[in-house]
Amino acid sequence: MDYDVLVIGSGIGGMESSIKLADMGYRVLLVEKEASVGGRMILLSKVFPTLDCASCISGPKMSSTVNHPNITSKTFSEVESIRRTEDGRFVATIREKAKFVDWAACTGCDMCQKACTVAVPDQFNANLAARRAAYIAFPQAVPKKAVLQREGTSPCIGACPAGIKAHGYVSLVRSGKYEEAFQLVLDATPLVGTLGRACYAPCESECTRAKLEGPVPIRLIKRFAADRHYESADGSPAVEVAEANGRKIAIIGSGPAGLTAAWQLARKGYAVTILEKRDQPGGYLRHAIPAYRLPHDVVDADIANLTALGVEIRCNAPVTDPEALKAEGYDAVILATGTQVATRMDVPGEDASGSVNGLDFLAAVANGQAPDLSGKRVVVVGGGNVAMDAARVSLRLGAAEAKVAYRRTRAEMPAHHVESKDAEAEGAVFELLVAPTEVIVADGKVTGVRMQKMQLGAPDASGRRSPEPIPGSDYVIDCDLVISTIGMSPDPTPFATLADRRGRISVDSKTLQTAVPYLFAAGDVTAGATDITRAIGSGRRAAHMVDRWLNDQPLDGFTALDDRLETISQDSVLARQTAFGHRHPVNGEVSLQKFPRDFSEIEAPLTIDQARAGAGSCLDCGVCSECQQCVQACPAFAIKMDQRDKLTELHVGAVVVATGHKLFAADLKPEYGFGKFANVITGMQMDRLLAPTRPFNTVLRPGDGKVPDRIAYISCTGSRDKTVGNPLCSKFCCMYSIKQNQLIMGALPLADVTMHYMDMRAAGKRYEEFYTQARDMGAQYIKGRVSRIVEEPNGDLLVRYEDIEGGGGIVEASYDLVVLAVGIQPNREVERLFGETPLGLDEYYYVAEPSAEISPGQTTIPGVFVAGTASGAKDIVDTILHAGAAVAQVAAHLEHQHFTEEVMA
Amino acid sequence: MTQVLRDPREVIREEPLMHQPILEAVAGGGLTIGEIAEKIGHPRHEVVYWVMGMRRYGHLIESSEADDDGYFRYRAVGTDEAPADLEECEYE
Repeated sequence: MDYDVLVIGSGIGGMESSIKLADMGYRVLLVEKEASVGGRMILLSKVFPTLDCASCISGPKMSSTVNHPNITSKTFSEVESIRRTEDGRFVATIREKAKFVDWAACTGCDMCQKACTVAVPDQFNANLAARRAAYIAFPQAVPKKAVLQREGTSPCIGACPAGIKAHGYVSLVRSGKYEEAFQLVLDATPLVGTLGRACYAPCESECTRAKLEGPVPIRLIKRFAADRHYESADGSPAVEVAEANGRKIAIIGSGPAGLTAAWQLARKGYAVTILEKRDQPGGYLRHAIPAYRLPHDVVDADIANLTALGVEIRCNAPVTDPEALKAEGYDAVILATGTQVATRMDVPGEDASGSVNGLDFLAAVANGQAPDLSGKRVVVVGGGNVAMDAARVSLRLGAAEAKVAYRRTRAEMPAHHVESKDAEAEGAVFELLVAPTEVIVADGKVTGVRMQKMQLGAPDASGRRSPEPIPGSDYVIDCDLVISTIGMSPDPTPFATLADRRGRISVDSKTLQTAVPYLFAAGDVTAGATDITRAIGSGRRAAHMVDRWLNDQPLDGFTALDDRLETISQDSVLARQTAFGHRHPVNGEVSLQKFPRDFSEIEAPLTIDQARAGAGSCLDCGVCSECQQCVQACPAFAIKMDQRDKLTELHVGAVVVATGHKLFAADLKPEYGFGKFANVITGMQMDRLLAPTRPFNTVLRPGDGKVPDRIAYISCTGSRDKTVGNPLCSKFCCMYSIKQNQLIMGALPLADVTMHYMDMRAAGKRYEEFYTQARDMGAQYIKGRVSRIVEEPNGDLLVRYEDIEGGGGIVEASYDLVVLAVGIQPNREVERLFGETPLGLDEYYYVAEPSAEISPGQTTIPGVFVAGTASGAKDIVDTILHAGAAVAQVAAHLEHQHFTEEVMA
Repeated sequence: MTQVLRDPREVIREEPLMHQPILEAVAGGGLTIGEIAEKIGHPRHEVVYWVMGMRRYGHLIESSEADDDGYFRYRAVGTDEAPADLEECEYE
């Protein structure tokens, strides 16, 4: 047996049970779901009727609990299930939730929470104020350690094949940390400006805000950060670089995969040389994507990040023999040559003058060898992004018409929908369901393309319906230039022995290592034509694996993509709020005109206001944005983003359920206006305002920060009230209201305090005297129900009530602040704990005590006991007494168990 | 006042976005919640969330006393100035 007793919950009942049992010599396992022990009591101002400081009483108990040699406390943990075994003991499954902080290293200094860029309601301050996603539960927390609230990977991050932390840089821009946003992207790839323009933004497709009024403009926010950096930077990327390790890496190809791999390896201290067969680096970023989408100076600025680190880029350096590189002293080689071979149409006339492939056409234009297409008619064959680029470039070169001929329908077109829409807006015309059968040539020049009409048949392997020729449907499109863009594939030369039948280099998909150990391959040369983000992700992976391989480490651990938390669902994000305010979506302004004639950039950057407003619409789906600010701020290097939940099965002899209670949701009494009027608060909120660790600087009303002069209490909110399904008295609302009345009059001597009550229930030692004392201090107590509260224009509250003892009339009075003395409700989370033999509950869903009168603390399951308000309303004094009773029951049970075993033995 | 309250989570989420406008608003000296609200064009009850968050994390500090109308003034914490400490327990 691992422990004698499992205690669930570390409120005053759970702590009291644990300490007493531990003092008796039993080994206790205490499981608490929050990051600190203490439960609700530690959050109170003072306790009645002594007005002792709640912290002063709770604090030592919290410390004793955590430091007791017989108590093992697991905070930030939850009991998943409990199963009773045949011998009357229990097997408990405990989930230790990932804290993402190494608590052995954490000093509780709070630098992480100060650096955090995500604000969420602070449950420890009854949602009156904000805390951070990185947080220490409260100032007196025991243990005083930080945790990161991560509820999963944000969908934008989860959707990025490059593993770029989109939520992180959006959150940084929202906080005005623009350079930090740039650096966060730069941590993944040097191509920040490029991605800000040419990425197809899968992050935006998955953005939860898209389910409301439109996605966060994530790509443009990245561009904003990049533009701002490049405008102000001195050319240095300002990143940390490891000392040179004396090892050399050759990277063949300077597209996004190669550049990214080089970036990652250079930062690890490798001497990296990029070998590029063209006369300028950048691959398709420079040689295919037209400048109106991605200006060359942006590519240059991104590449300058690399050269600033000492990466050598050798252009006009085709590699014909990779083994020679090894002989030259390179320790590893990464092949990242992309897809350079255009797929042929295989139709007659294809090689005639006036028939070109899209890759050559775009490269010629990018390299200053653009043909003059003034007045020419152009047919682009294909329906992908290259086709759209070719058509739009043709128009910019003066073409009179640019027809895009595609063999399926618009719905199947592989081009990104924005590209096809923009192409159409600029004057491209789509000829759909047609396929070329011949390039017609006269006098050595192209005069047209013979097309055959197609119809869609059964779906092919890709799931798209296959185009099938319609016999006898041929026709000719007259044209002067045919541009074929029907596909592209890698050029495996001189690595043919490593290539599959499609010319792709064969690699292990996780390690990107080829059959030749020192040779790795990344990007489209392994996967076929994809997109920039996939190439970047692959480049990152290759760099990671090369580093591992050269250091004799297992080829794993690529956490950027392989070990992300599960992506949180959009529905669960949206379920966090009851309503969402409408925000005008921030969209990029794209300047599209028919038959454009220049290559100037068509998309305008976001202004600073647009960038921040756009970032401000982020819903913080995963809560923690992964912005890494806490990682950088922590002086103890304690942040561990790779921590994961841990499940443990433990054997225990008995169980104490001390799961406490819930507070009544005050908005279920709409006539009182909670959630509708800012100056209507709950008793728990007032207790926080009165506590030394209060969220405001003093007792202020939340509507406008005014020190309230006239404060009303309404008792029995959600208790003794059949209209909300709770006929029970909560026992301590009257007394905590009286306590607060006294504290308010102490803190705000000029304030008038009035309590509207049903019955004053002051049944306890010195409770009646405590009530009298409050009256003597000046608090007013008016017997009668409040029927309605109306908000006045200045935020004051007009309370309509019955004054039973003052004549029975209906009276209205104005207050600055109204406090609802909310009752308690059962914590029904306990119901799931015991699986198929659930714990018995009473008719109000509190844990049942079948013999409460003679065996308090016993439940319906032998060996399971209950302490505190889990079994019904109790004040602190009664909770401690009840815990004592439960402890006695536990001890008796365990001793009986031992005795029985000894007899049996 | 009399306006629909937005979900507190939504308001609080905007706090980092509001740091800059609020700090700009109080750059000339301490302001009450109402004055800040007027300057930045947001409802007072929302400004309370933001100001209290900024106060908690060391960006703002309150005046030592409220004015005659019961309002404190909040100003930026100086670079050489510590944010307000938590109140000691007066009982002990």
